[in-house]
Amino acid sequence: MKYDICIVGSGAGASPVAYTLAKAGAKVLVLEKGAWLTEKEFYKDELAISLRDAYNPKLEDEQHVIEEEYETEDGESFWQGEATSESGWSFWNGTVVGGSSNFMSGYFHRLKPIDFRLKSEFGAIEGANVEDWPIDYDELEPYYAMVEKVVGVSGRVSEHPHQEPRSTDFPFPPVAEHAISSWIDESSKEIGYHAVPVPRAILSQPAMGRNSCEYSGYCSSYGCASGAKGSGRAALLNHAVATGNCTITPHAKVYKIETDSKGEISGVLYYDKAGRKQVATAKYYVVACQAVETSRLLLASKGEKFPNGIANNTGHVGKNLIFSGGGTGRGDFFYKDLTKEKQAQLKQVGPFINRALQDWYQIDDKAFNGFNRDGKAKGGTIDFLFYQNPIARAQSTKWQYDEAQDSEKLIWGEELKQSMKTEFTTYKTLRFEVFNDWLPTDNCFVDLDDDVTDKWGDPVAKIRIGAHNHDLDVGEYLAEKAEKLLTEMGATNISSSVSSAPASNLMAGGCRFGNDPKTSVLNKNCQVHEVENLFVTDASFMPTGGSVPYTFTIYANSFRVADHIKERWQKSTS
Amino acid sequence: MSQVQKAKTVPQVKSFFDKNFRTPKWLQKKVSRRSALKSAAGATMIAAMPVRSWSAVTANKLNGALKTDPWLTLDAVLAHLLPESPTGPSAREIQATQYLYNVVFQQPTEEAEIEFIYKGVGWLNGFSTSQLQKNFVLLTFDEKESILRAISKSTAGENWLSNLVGYIFEAMLSPPSYGGNPNGIGWQWLEHQAGFPLPQAGQRYYELPGKQPIVLNSKISTANKTTQVVSHQQYIAKQVGTRKA
Repeated sequence: MKYDICIVGSGAGASPVAYTLAKAGAKVLVLEKGAWLTEKEFYKDELAISLRDAYNPKLEDEQHVIEEEYETEDGESFWQGEATSESGWSFWNGTVVGGSSNFMSGYFHRLKPIDFRLKSEFGAIEGANVEDWPIDYDELEPYYAMVEKVVGVSGRVSEHPHQEPRSTDFPFPPVAEHAISSWIDESSKEIGYHAVPVPRAILSQPAMGRNSCEYSGYCSSYGCASGAKGSGRAALLNHAVATGNCTITPHAKVYKIETDSKGEISGVLYYDKAGRKQVATAKYYVVACQAVETSRLLLASKGEKFPNGIANNTGHVGKNLIFSGGGTGRGDFFYKDLTKEKQAQLKQVGPFINRALQDWYQIDDKAFNGFNRDGKAKGGTIDFLFYQNPIARAQSTKWQYDEAQDSEKLIWGEELKQSMKTEFTTYKTLRFEVFNDWLPTDNCFVDLDDDVTDKWGDPVAKIRIGAHNHDLDVGEYLAEKAEKLLTEMGATNISSSVSSAPASNLMAGGCRFGNDPKTSVLNKNCQVHEVENLFVTDASFMPTGGSVPYTFTIYANSFRVADHIKERWQKSTS
Repeated sequence: MSQVQKAKTVPQVKSFFDKNFRTPKWLQKKVSRRSALKSAAGATMIAAMPVRSWSAVTANKLNGALKTDPWLTLDAVLAHLLPESPTGPSAREIQATQYLYNVVFQQPTEEAEIEFIYKGVGWLNGFSTSQLQKNFVLLTFDEKESILRAISKSTAGENWLSNLVGYIFEAMLSPPSYGGNPNGIGWQWLEHQAGFPLPQAGQRYYELPGKQPIVLNSKISTANKTTQVVSHQQYIAKQVGTRKA
């Protein structure tokens, strides 16, 4: 049958379109490469979620080629690719219905008005391709509010210097907080920081047919067994399917958007579960399979009118890919240094820390030596968290520094037992993550690889991951601020690591939206400039990414685009 | 990547001290810093084979297997790496051998890794015999210690032992349905609060729906046919179900 809407992908970018259009009465088809799991199939299983990466393809079957910069002895630099099946560095983030939103932490910070106009505010940065967005915060604000309500965001508004304008209060009260949150609050106050409560896409109360959070203490990177986490699957697709208008086809791997001699889409081609080639047709097509794979699909969709891939006649598809700048840091609290009461507080497992620092969302500090005038620059966000995975934690206990050899020595026996016991029972680590803008540059992009193919024989995506030095300057500036708070809190072994290696789960860009078809892939409604009925609704549209995790903004923008598609569809049927 | 062994097997190498040995690719990936950073939870392990089989009677099979090598020696090595002591549970108490047996026979573990685990047994006994004229299991505690210390000075020996210690961690700290950590004994010892719900048998990572999502070629489906072992009880249940229908 011919559908009204065919959506490639089923995550945060795809699900708002399916939800909105199915509720409006349109016939929606969702094609998802992975399996369709439900709450019943998500467990707190460290082997599944990380050690064996069970929710993603085997890298021998489907992989990427990662291009990094190397330098010769003569100081000449060159870019060299390495297949991820060789390196083990996976760029998959959840190949199931609902995509990576099943496994997110759900830190739902909004972008702030300034994120929409970085170029106007801070000027151009040499070596970076910064552009303002074609929309402003006010156009997206109602959709942030909608996501908070429909996907379910728990939080509370607090006064702080960088609080963005809000039209509504949070629809759900905050999720339960860990005792350490109050330590963070107190120490922040002491040193003049403003600790901000973090809004979470986790239901603190049962609502919309979903249970509230059960506080198992395992949330980030785990699938949610209660339905409290606002994945695209639990929050939106289930409701879309319930309308009777939405069909989800799992195990459907789309490999090409086919166009005819006039450049019109004749169908979406995919391999079904049995490996057979299938075609889906619709009035409107939406691509949302996470930034890298979206660009890959467009580049692979060559046709008579699109010799370089659909939407790519000006050569911008895959360009200006961005990740998230920043890094991580940590500080330890030893139980022996704490009162019994504080020990008990610290050992608590289940509730969330839910604290962030955004005091330096805009840096205005003469001491900051950035590219911009007078120490002014876009800054970022610092979030606090605990790690919970025990097998990962144990890994370091088998190595002991051997002074005689000046190297690490493998230990076992009684020595190993003591080492494990000490690691697990004498201290707890408070961690932080720094999020700052990853500047778009000419050295961060997606292309089709010339050699490596996936198990179907199609070229895989090659990702060049060059970062701008400015990102490191900002990340280090923020990490230093976070370290200061840990010091104030009395932590020891404080350290941080700001790196230019991207976090592969935080990707955006590749199909910028903009008003000029010569310099952008999508128009302001995220419709491909070159094809009237093709939209991209994942994070690919972002010219700059902001300094917060992407999922919330992907949802909000996708709801915005969904309204536009709905209007077009309704007009076409009336 | 010139350091990385491209071949699936561990060719030519005759002992832990063979200078032709290079750390195998699957192990490099396990310990790669990047993978560790990425997940904050250890590395991504690559499974080259589809799910092998599931059987309710692996525990009994292990008892049989333990009578001979490689499992006889592996059991002794694991017991030495995590010995009985008042400090905390031993390899036996956390069922480390049972867990490793499941890694080999139930989890979709890469063949190259299994081969390496098995070959290490041969190399260990070869070395033990050359030094003390006895297989490893027949040695005293102190003799075992000195033999393991000696092999750990080689790259291959350290790789082999380090990999086994890694499985001790998994046996101690993974959900009990994987065969180790009976009644959460490891979690209790390390005062670790596990999450919930936990996967039960039938819900382990290699048993999740759609684990072999898109079958591409006949090779994979044939492999499935030849390796799919249905336990006796499951078989009966299936037959009954068919009749009722």
